[in-house]
Formats: sequence, structure tokens, C-alpha cells
Amino acid sequence: MTALALAGCTASAGAPENGIGEPGATDISGTVTFWHAYSADSPEVATLDDVIIPAFEKKFPDVTVKSVPVPYDDLHQKLITAVAGDQLPDLVRADIGWVPELADLGVLVPLSEEMPDFQALADATYPGSLATNKWKDAYYGLPLDTNTRVTLYNSGALDAAGVDVPTTVEDLVAAAPALKAAGSYAFADNGASGWNVLPWIWSAGGDITNEDVTEATGYLNSPESVQGIQTLVDLYQGGYMPDIILGDSGGLATSDGLAQGTYATILDGPWMYPIFAGQYPDFTLSAAQVPAGDGGSISVVGGEDIVLTQSSENKAAAAEFLRYLLSEDAQLEMAKVGQMSVLSSLGDGLADINEYYAPFVEQLATARPRPVTPAWTKIDAILQDEIRAAIKGDKTVQEALDSAASQSDALLAQYK
Amino acid sequence: MTAPTAAPPAVTVRSALLRRRRGAAAGGGRREALAAYAFVLPGFILYALVMLYPAVQTFLLSLRDWKITPGVDSPWVGLDNYIRAFSDPAFLDSLVNAVVYTLVTVPMQIVIGLFLAILLDSKLPGRVAFRVLFYLPVVTSWVVVSLLFRYIFSSDEGLANFVTVDLLHLASDNVSWFQERWTSFIAICALGIWKGVGWSMLIFLAALTAVPKDLHEAAAIDGAGVFKRFRYVSLPSIRSALSVVVILLVIGGFNVFISVLLITGGTNDTQVPLTYMYDQAFQFLDFGYGSAISFSLTALVLVVSAAQYWWTRRSMRN
Amino acid sequence: MVTSPRRRILNYAIRYVLLAIAAFLLVYPFLYMLSTSFKPRSLVLGDPTQLIPEDPTLDNYIQVLGVDNFLRYFLNSAAVAVVSTVLIVALSSMMAYAFSRLRFPGKRILFTLIIVGLTIPTMMLIIPQFLLARDLHLLNSLQGLVPFYVGTALGFNTFLLSGFFETIPKELDEAMLIDGAGPWRRYWSLALPLSKPALATCVIFAFLGTWDEFAWALTVLNDVEVRTLPIAIALFQGQHSTSWGLVFAASLLAIIPVLIVYIVFQRFFVAGLTSGAIKS
Repeated sequence: MTALALAGCTASAGAPENGIGEPGATDISGTVTFWHAYSADSPEVATLDDVIIPAFEKKFPDVTVKSVPVPYDDLHQKLITAVAGDQLPDLVRADIGWVPELADLGVLVPLSEEMPDFQALADATYPGSLATNKWKDAYYGLPLDTNTRVTLYNSGALDAAGVDVPTTVEDLVAAAPALKAAGSYAFADNGASGWNVLPWIWSAGGDITNEDVTEATGYLNSPESVQGIQTLVDLYQGGYMPDIILGDSGGLATSDGLAQGTYATILDGPWMYPIFAGQYPDFTLSAAQVPAGDGGSISVVGGEDIVLTQSSENKAAAAEFLRYLLSEDAQLEMAKVGQMSVLSSLGDGLADINEYYAPFVEQLATARPRPVTPAWTKIDAILQDEIRAAIKGDKTVQEALDSAASQSDALLAQYK
Repeated sequence: MTAPTAAPPAVTVRSALLRRRRGAAAGGGRREALAAYAFVLPGFILYALVMLYPAVQTFLLSLRDWKITPGVDSPWVGLDNYIRAFSDPAFLDSLVNAVVYTLVTVPMQIVIGLFLAILLDSKLPGRVAFRVLFYLPVVTSWVVVSLLFRYIFSSDEGLANFVTVDLLHLASDNVSWFQERWTSFIAICALGIWKGVGWSMLIFLAALTAVPKDLHEAAAIDGAGVFKRFRYVSLPSIRSALSVVVILLVIGGFNVFISVLLITGGTNDTQVPLTYMYDQAFQFLDFGYGSAISFSLTALVLVVSAAQYWWTRRSMRN
Repeated sequence: MVTSPRRRILNYAIRYVLLAIAAFLLVYPFLYMLSTSFKPRSLVLGDPTQLIPEDPTLDNYIQVLGVDNFLRYFLNSAAVAVVSTVLIVALSSMMAYAFSRLRFPGKRILFTLIIVGLTIPTMMLIIPQFLLARDLHLLNSLQGLVPFYVGTALGFNTFLLSGFFETIPKELDEAMLIDGAGPWRRYWSLALPLSKPALATCVIFAFLGTWDEFAWALTVLNDVEVRTLPIAIALFQGQHSTSWGLVFAASLLAIIPVLIVYIVFQRFFVAGLTSGAIKS
């Protein structure tokens, strides 16, 4: 029966078989499989399964959306195996870091080429989030949700030391001795990967690579980048930052330390609010923008993109569901349960839903993505090792970043 | 059961058997072989299909610069991936870590497991309860206990620091366990031993049941102490199980993975071959290299196991 | 001397002290899990020295059991584990018997291949295995898990059992040979009954292995209806935060069947019939 229907399709339609149609098509049908990593007890999955998908299926009664939750830690491996076996689903909610990799493998549909209304959808999203979908000359996905890191601080700890909320890197460095005297570390972070250190590099006016993401030397080891990392090294060596930055695990977690006042400030994302509310109900969490340097206050973009696979047998319906997920309705529903919208038009409205979104929305206006390249996972690992060496004092910051830059050049060259 | 209650003198049995064997060599041997294939093949065919066939394919892919996308050409590189592995300091470091892990955890699991098994191999009131308690670590999931151990060793508030600093005064200050290679491995090895002793205990318990109780009693009456009885009565009967356990534990030791992945993620020089391989294959998509690492490790473990197997066989025969 | 009552009491006392110390060390982390599973909203792990939760609650268990399909995942896992365990024990005991008791050409090669398989990290086989499962139409179904679970477990269990079969006294085999018993009868009415503890060990390990298996199930199963319990438990771990109480509660519930199998089968760990037989 399906074969017959398909045959009928090819014969009658002039448009390419199984392509993405104009928005709002009425003749779509079939099943759309959607892989995502919402955890089983999360309100997000409840909203997706009980609100968003039913609403979509009501609009398109002939389409069934199959929501397939996969544990976050294992989704990448499952995706890779599915690529090898040509068993990918229609749509994937992919970590922003995976899009260039999957695009490079040739398994994603270049939406900017094949989706008629791509530009309109893209224009509605934050540029920092959209950029994570670009690989070579096309966009292979659209942002689905976003987040970033802002400064979270313990106002009690700051008051005890008699210092104001640090809005610039200078403020933070200047406040550090007073905080130390009052028994708090000025700043704490639990790693030295890009997610952790890029805000410091960017805010100091530095960068990681050139715009085309083909070269790191001259960017990652520029005087500005060195300055950004030097701030961290100085804080650590002055005893103003705990040693958890040297080890991925263990130590007093940033969240616990912040709530207890051991850490005066940390950088973290919006998901910390429910954690604090659950664990430290008496603690009032406060937020500010990332400390600004010569480059401004620039944070790092997180979040997920949605991608459509080449192997999808039902691209028209899949694209329609993708559009629906990016609609204001769906984005607002997800915002209610803790997922920040990628639509810049909803920015102000987000703060009405959840007050704590406000500083994140503000930070997102200038936040940047990590370099968009399949080589990033490797570069990230190198960066972390080199920066840790600098923090421990085994190398100067310049030596560490020179080495990271030249190693990165070699990796980037593979994808030119 | 056909226990030879009224058995003829052993000598007659032997000679009768020998006669039979000789006669059977022509016809009976073939019948025995045919029966043996009927025993082996159903399982072996399935094993070959789901293990050996994929293993051969993985081996072939280690000779290529393998691209995961179907239909994309994967250039043949011969032994390049193997040459790369053995000149890759990170891989060699990971091997050293695995060797250390194996050298620490295997003897400990054997000694403690055997010790617990001996304690429980008697009519002791409440022994079932103890058997269950000791087995609990084996059944709890690796993921959960790895995260738990990571937490126990967390530098400031962790239980491990409470014990080493406050309780035992082994160190004056809290230790940052996961910032150095070998302190990280203390945590990883502790988990390996903790999770493994129940496993080896179980196999030893099963083996000890084959030790005739009356032999023990006889030895006790002769005045043999606990250690002598173990050395001369229990040990000979469980030697075969011991060699099986040693080989399986050594294989398991070299293949340590989830605990390292979840506890340190391989940072601060704590990679082991499997975490390194996993990164190469599933993070960096270098499956050719990952496979080469996998087969290099296999070759190494095989040599070690074969040496052990040969050695225990020889010592058993003596 | 050994049998003097004072000596015996001392002996027992020492044993119990040693056992109690071991039990404490081995069970402690488990108690911590148990305690956390009764704590409300535990997004961060609590103080490990505090084992009694302040205001204990059953919320985590209620929430776990209330997850859609939780019972179904449980039954899925049980079905796969039971079928696989039966097949693993049957096939590997047959193989082990042949390897340890029968002579046949090619024995060395086949046994070596079994050992080789034991040393290959299965993780690297996952892509070729996935392609194989796809070509055999075994993806995304519970039945499809069984051949892979059985096939991958055979090596280990065959190796383990052949170690035990070797310890059965040759004299018993020979006696049966004289009675004219063929290999099948010697396997069924001599080797198996004498190896009850070993077979019980196999059942315990095979059940645990298949019940707990995660990586393969996650890779090949997509539809929610055919998922197994370990996937459901892993789904409680979030990307940014995890409710530990939930994860621990679910893990503890998942342990129950494994413990039942263990308790039932460890009863076979009593001296077999060998003791009487060897003496003569």
C-alpha cells in the first residue's frame, strides 16, 4: 500500500519526491521520529509528549510524531552507530557541538539550501545560536533552545567582604583579597575546557580562531587571549580560586560552594536555579553579567539545535514538525518548563515566564558559540590540558596557548 | 547417581578402560568426536556469528582509515594505525595505567574473595545473609557506583578524606584525589576491588563445595591448622577455579572502562586503553585507530593470559 | 583440642567479627544509596556520613513506579533475561563439557577462539554488530536482543564451566563409560548434577549480565515499548542535573530480581556428591 502511494506521488507531483515543501502544507502524512535527550523526570519531556506533540498532531491529523528519549550521555554514541548503519531518525535534537560533525559526515539536510522558508526562520533566532548550525557554506540545522553562562553570586559573601558585585574583570581581581580575608574564594569553576574559559578569553578581546575557523595561531595565542587566561592563572596562584579547576570531578562543587559562601562568584547556566531551589531553599541566588574586559562582557552559547537527516523518508512532515517546534507557541510552552527560547522576539516575554531568565536573555545578545568545527572536541581537550598546565605553573600562559594554537592548526587543516 | 559403591579395585577399572580405549580408537573415537561437535557447534556457531565475525570486521577496519558514513571510501592504510598506536605516548601511558590497575586489583580481589569464601564455606548461622551482603556490590550498576565513588573521594567533604585525615590521620590536609594520576587510581582501584570481591567470592564458593568435608575433618584430627588445611586440602581442589578467576580478572583489569570514564574521564593522565579507544572512536570518529588500539590490547592480554594458562596447567600437572 | 567448646566459640567469634567488618565495608555505599533514595529532591548528593535521611519519603519510589511503562520495562528486561539465561547455561554447559571431557579434532583451535573472544573489548564490535543486527532484521525488538546476549556471554560461561567440569574426577566418567553410557548421558546424568554449584554460578552471572545490559540495548532499541529497564534508569539522569534519589530508587528496584535469582541459586552451593564418590 505504501509502495503504491509512493508510486502515485512520484508520477503526479512535479516537485522532487520526499523534499521539504512550503510551510503549512496540508497533504503531509506518515510518521516522524524525533530523538532527543530530555530526562525521564524532566518537565520538558512531559510538555513535549503531552502538549506539543498532541497540538501538532491535531493540526496535522495524518502525521504521527514518535518521541524517542535517549540518555544524554549516550545519545552521541547512538547517533554515530546509527550513521554507520544508515538508521538515523527523521529529526534529532542535537547538542550544538555535534552539528558540524554530523554535517561533515554528510548525513544532514542543508536546510539553508533545501528549506524554502529557512531564512525567515533563521532570522528570528539569536545569531550566536544560529551560528552553531553553519558548516562550510550552508546551515544544517536551526537552533531549538539556548542558554549561556552568567555570573552567579552569593551576595552575603560579597557583603561580608564589603565589596560590590564585580561587573568587570578588574573589579573581580580588585575584590579578591578582601574576599579571601573574609573567607571566600573570589571565583570558582570546575574545569578548563572551552565552556569554562572562553568567556574569559572573549571578554578580554581575544578569540580562538579566525572567522572561517581554519586557523588558531594568531587568535588563540594573541595577547588578548593570553590576557584572558592570565586573569585565571593570577586568581589561582593568588589563592583566590579553588583547585577544582584542575580536576573535572571531586572537590566542593561550584553550586555547593556558592550556596555556602565559600565561593563568592561562579559562572553557570539557567538550570542551576531549580537545583538551588531544591537543595538550598534558604539561599537567594543572584545573577549578573559575565565580568567585562576590554572585549566587553561576552559569554558562551550553549543549547541544542534541531537537524533533519538525509535518510529521512518523510522530509515534508519532519520539516513541518521542525517548524512547529520553532513556533512561538511551542517555544513558549518549553520556556515555561525551563528551556530558554531561541526566538529573540520572545526575549522580554521570557522574563515574564521566569524572572531568572532576564540576565541570561541579556547575556545572550552578545554571547558567542564555541568554534563551529568537527575538530572542536579535540581542540577542546587540548585547550583544557594546556590551560591546566598554565594554571599549575608548569608553563607560562603564552607557552600553553602557543602550543594549543599550533596543535589546533593541524586539526583545523583537516577540514579546510 | 551412579556412585561406584561396590567398585572393583581401581587397577581393574583402569585396565578395562585402557582396553576399551584402544578398541574404541578406530570407531568410538569418531563417534565421540561426532558427539563433541553436536555439543559444541550450536553454541559455537552463534558465538562465531555475533562475536567472531564482527571481530574480524573490526580487525579489517583497523587496517583502514575508516569512515563511518556508508558508501564513503575508506583508504587502506595497512599497519599504519598499529604503528601509530605504539608510538603514541598517550596510548602507552594508558597501558601503564591498566597494568597498574590490574596488578593492584587482581591480587586483592583474589585474596579477599577467597578469604570471604572460606569464611562462608561452612555451616555458619546467618551465612546466607552474609553471602547476600557481599554480593550487593556486584549487582549494583557500574554507573551508579562509579558516580558514588567519585563523590566519596571528592576533595573537601568526601568520606575518603574524612577517613584518611580525621579518622586515620594518614594525611594532615585533605587530599585532592582527582588532580594527580596515582591518587586518582587509588579511588579507581578501590572501586574495582570493592565491586569485584563478591564476584570472585562467588566462584570460589562454588569451587570450595567440591572439597570433601571429611578430608577437612581428617586433616583437623591429624592436627593440621587452618593454614595447613587450606594449603593441602582446599587449595588443590580449587586450583582450576583459581586459574579461571585469575585469567578472567586479568582480562577484566585490562578492560577497565566505565569507572575511569565516569570518575576522572581520563583527565590528569588517567586514561586507560578503553577510555582512550572510546575517545578515538566515538568522540573523534577515528574508528580505524580505535580498532587498532582494541586489537593491540587484545594481543597483549592474550599473551598474558596464555602465559598464565600454560603456567597453571604446568604447575597443576606437577 | 579443636573441638573443645571454648575453642569453637572463639573460632565463631573471630569469624563473625571478620565477616561483620567485611560486610560493613562492602555494604556501606549501598546503604548510602538506600538512604538517598528516601530523601526528597536530591539534585546534589548529600553528606555520606549521614545515613539516616532527615525527613524520609517514599516520593522517589512512587515517582519511579509512576513513570509510564515502568512495569513494562521491568517485564521486558525479565523476559529477555530469563530466555537468554536459559540458553546461555544450556549452550555453554554443552560446549564446556565437550571442551573439558571429549576429544575431537579442532578442539584446541575452537577453545582458543573462545578465549580470544573474551579478550576483545566488545565496545569496538558495536558497529559491525549493529550492521549485522540490521541485516538480520534484529534491530528494535526484544527477540533481537537474545541472540546477541547469548552469543556474547557464551565465551565467558564456557570458560568458567570448563574449569569446573575438569575437576570432576575422571574415575566417575570411566565408570560410566564401562556401563556403556554415551557422551550425552555422561553430560546429563554425571557432569550436570555434579556441577550444580558451577551451574548456579552461571545462572547468577548470566542473569545479572543480561538483566543489566545497557550499551547494546540502547544502541539497537528505539521504540519506547521495547525498551529495557537499564535504559529507563539511565533516562533519569539529566543533562545538567540528576535527581539522585530517583536514580538510586530505580536502581534499587532493579536489583531485586537479581538478588532473588542469587538467593535462590546460591542454595546449590553445598557440597555435591563428589565427596562420597572420590573416597573409594
